[in-house]
Amino acid sequence: MKADISSEINEKSLLGLLSQSSDFKSSDFSAGNRHYRLFYVDTMIEPTVVQEHVIRPLLHHSDGSSIREAVSILEYGETELLSDASNALIEGKTVVHIEGETKLYLLGTDLKKERSVNIPVNERVLRGSNEALIENLNTNLNLIRKLIATPDLAVKYYILGRRSNTKVAVLYLSSLANEKVLKEFERRLGLIDIDYVEAPGFLKELIHDRKLALFPQILVSERPDRVRSNLMDGKIAILTDGSPDCLIVPVSFWAFLQSPDDYQVTWLFGSVFRLFRVVCFILAISLPGAYVALVTFDPRTIPFEIALTVQSSMQYVAMPPVLEAIFMMVTLELLREASVRLSSPIGQTIGIVGGIVIGTVVVQSNLVSTMMVVVIAFTAIASFIIPSYEMSIAARILPYPIIILSSIFGLIGLELSFLLVIAHLARLNTMGIPYFYSGLNGEEDTFLRSPLSSWKKRPKESVAKDNTRIKVTEDGNP
Amino acid sequence: MIHLEKLSIKQLFWLVVLTQVGVHVLTIPFEESKHSGYDSWMSVLIGGVMAQAVILITYQLGKRYEDRPLPKYMSAITGKLLGAVLNVVLALYFAESSLMVVVSYADILRRWVLFTTPWSVIVGVTFAIAAYIATSSLRSIATITQTIVFMFLFCFAIVVISGLGRGDLRNFMPLGTHGIGPIVKDALPAFWAYAGYELLLYVFPFVKCRKKKDILITVSVANGFTTFFYVLLSFIATYSFSESQLKSVPEPMIFILRQFRWPTVQNLDILFMTIWLSVTTVTVYVYLFMAARYLAFVRGKEIRNHPFLVWIVAFACFSIGIWVSDRQRLSRFIHYHDTVSILIIAGIPAFLLLVSLVRKRVVLR
Repeated sequence: MKADISSEINEKSLLGLLSQSSDFKSSDFSAGNRHYRLFYVDTMIEPTVVQEHVIRPLLHHSDGSSIREAVSILEYGETELLSDASNALIEGKTVVHIEGETKLYLLGTDLKKERSVNIPVNERVLRGSNEALIENLNTNLNLIRKLIATPDLAVKYYILGRRSNTKVAVLYLSSLANEKVLKEFERRLGLIDIDYVEAPGFLKELIHDRKLALFPQILVSERPDRVRSNLMDGKIAILTDGSPDCLIVPVSFWAFLQSPDDYQVTWLFGSVFRLFRVVCFILAISLPGAYVALVTFDPRTIPFEIALTVQSSMQYVAMPPVLEAIFMMVTLELLREASVRLSSPIGQTIGIVGGIVIGTVVVQSNLVSTMMVVVIAFTAIASFIIPSYEMSIAARILPYPIIILSSIFGLIGLELSFLLVIAHLARLNTMGIPYFYSGLNGEEDTFLRSPLSSWKKRPKESVAKDNTRIKVTEDGNP
Repeated sequence: MIHLEKLSIKQLFWLVVLTQVGVHVLTIPFEESKHSGYDSWMSVLIGGVMAQAVILITYQLGKRYEDRPLPKYMSAITGKLLGAVLNVVLALYFAESSLMVVVSYADILRRWVLFTTPWSVIVGVTFAIAAYIATSSLRSIATITQTIVFMFLFCFAIVVISGLGRGDLRNFMPLGTHGIGPIVKDALPAFWAYAGYELLLYVFPFVKCRKKKDILITVSVANGFTTFFYVLLSFIATYSFSESQLKSVPEPMIFILRQFRWPTVQNLDILFMTIWLSVTTVTVYVYLFMAARYLAFVRGKEIRNHPFLVWIVAFACFSIGIWVSDRQRLSRFIHYHDTVSILIIAGIPAFLLLVSLVRKRVVLR
């Protein structure tokens, strides 16, 4: 619909377009022989900007010069369409109309309310930057652009969600990111046809490869420095407006066990910590299963003295070890979930209930053996070591099938479940690229973090266009 | 989707090694010491050398048609009908080999670890997992195999450490008194223990390498590694047991592991057999994969549904497998398999190579 020459009619139609919202306001004033009418949504604008940079200059410019020359506002637009004007209004722009013209002037006067950049809460490191992404897309882009000061960094905007109009920014280094992956990614983004995007959770689910994957295939991070290191590998980062998380594709299994800390210490310690994390991941998924297998099937494998200890702890326990294990795992799960949901003043009670009531009384009442409590506690701590929340969810779910398989086939069941997990991992793809590799093929940054001097190439999963990281000079030294 | 990416040389190496080693590790050198007694390690060594000869033949054949796997060019050598027949024969052989491995290992598991589990369940579960893996792409299979390498190396360490326990060097003396005849005779059962390199016939075009010769070197080194491992095992067995004991102990390795005490593990043999299961599974899924791939080319056109073929082959093997739980029948089956495998993995490539050589001559004239 085109704008009318009469301000009155325009106001009515804009009010109609904005569903008769009560915060839609207008204000009149005249300067010289011109009658101005300002339209705005008063909850979305910054009043001082409108007063100082729109109204005041317009009042002083009575010589008939154009609005562009009069106002001191950077974001300026003109339109004749009322629908454009209504969209601008909900973004916080002020629309100016001059009585007798069909033109509408759009001036950027939006109110910016955002929290300041804080320290990361979910991904803590000892050394490294202390900035975390926040809910505002522009601030996030600013943080990342400051870290990667190169014109090579491409930022592309997409609008997703027919009704929610969520703004999504896709970032990549244009000289590194693989075109095929980029194209595939953009194709998947283009296929999304949904009215509302709960970002970035929906987005994650809508673009990933296999519905039945047990392992996360998209890395989520709130750390700009982590985003940078991934972009520098030739990967693609996705930021959504309103979310302090950045999605990174394509990633391999090992990315979820890496922490920015590994690169701040020497490679030797980095490797030790990495290996430690891998071992803990394996323990977190298999320890209860292994214990169940050992005590129910193959107590012959444990040395005699230890077997006696285990036996004495199990003496008065009526439940079979499988049920014991599942009972304790579920209890642990309850504690974990409860401690996230409870508000912080009551949160401390969880420690008392969990530690004293469940830990001690359950054993004293012979519901669960002490050995089992030790095993489950150890499993829980091992699962806390995994640096990525998404991967630690996988590590929380996987023990259950493993416990059941081990209780049926003993150690053989444990072995079979390992095979299944490895097979599942090896069959996964992200954006058409293998998700898992064994780390034996000359990959540098997998279960060990090898010295920087050996990082001659970028990681396999990013299939970067330019693969050389360290240029080797004539005499063979980097 | 079956070939997403090429194999690297390292992956080929481990794929060959882990397909070669399997159930036999536990029984070496029982079969091989029937005639040659304490000289059985020589038989095992000769078996490795024979395997090397077959690798040379296989390589020559693969090099002539370096852009295609064997089932694709089979009929180009022999003609359509014979090509189809040979593809079926090879597919059957691979299926039967996988059955053989599963059944022999299930027999060991039943006697040493899972006493009460029904036979059909052990065989069924093994086949189910192997078939699930075999339905993947060649690249995934290589990745899985490379991860299992860690378990293999762990077992290797267990064997070496525990094997150097009590023993007597005099068990080897006097060297070579059994004569050359019995030693060579016993090299034949050893020959089947080395089977696994025949996967090269299929994998050849899918290996990423600078020169084709690298493939030959890699497979030879892999075979050398396996030979070393087998000879080491027969050494350990002969070191611990005298000749009369060797002849009556079908699984010497288990006894050796059992008598060895670690402070943290009481019965090392159970741990070993459990972890070794994954290494034997490599053999099973590689053979299932091969069987399905050969089957895919039986008709002129390739059958694209690879997972379906794998599951069919696995199910057929499973249904036969539940009927060979009887030990008498099992040993007859093993004996028959030894003969057949020599014929097929050495005979068919040699025959194909000869035919293709002769054909080329004829064409040149």
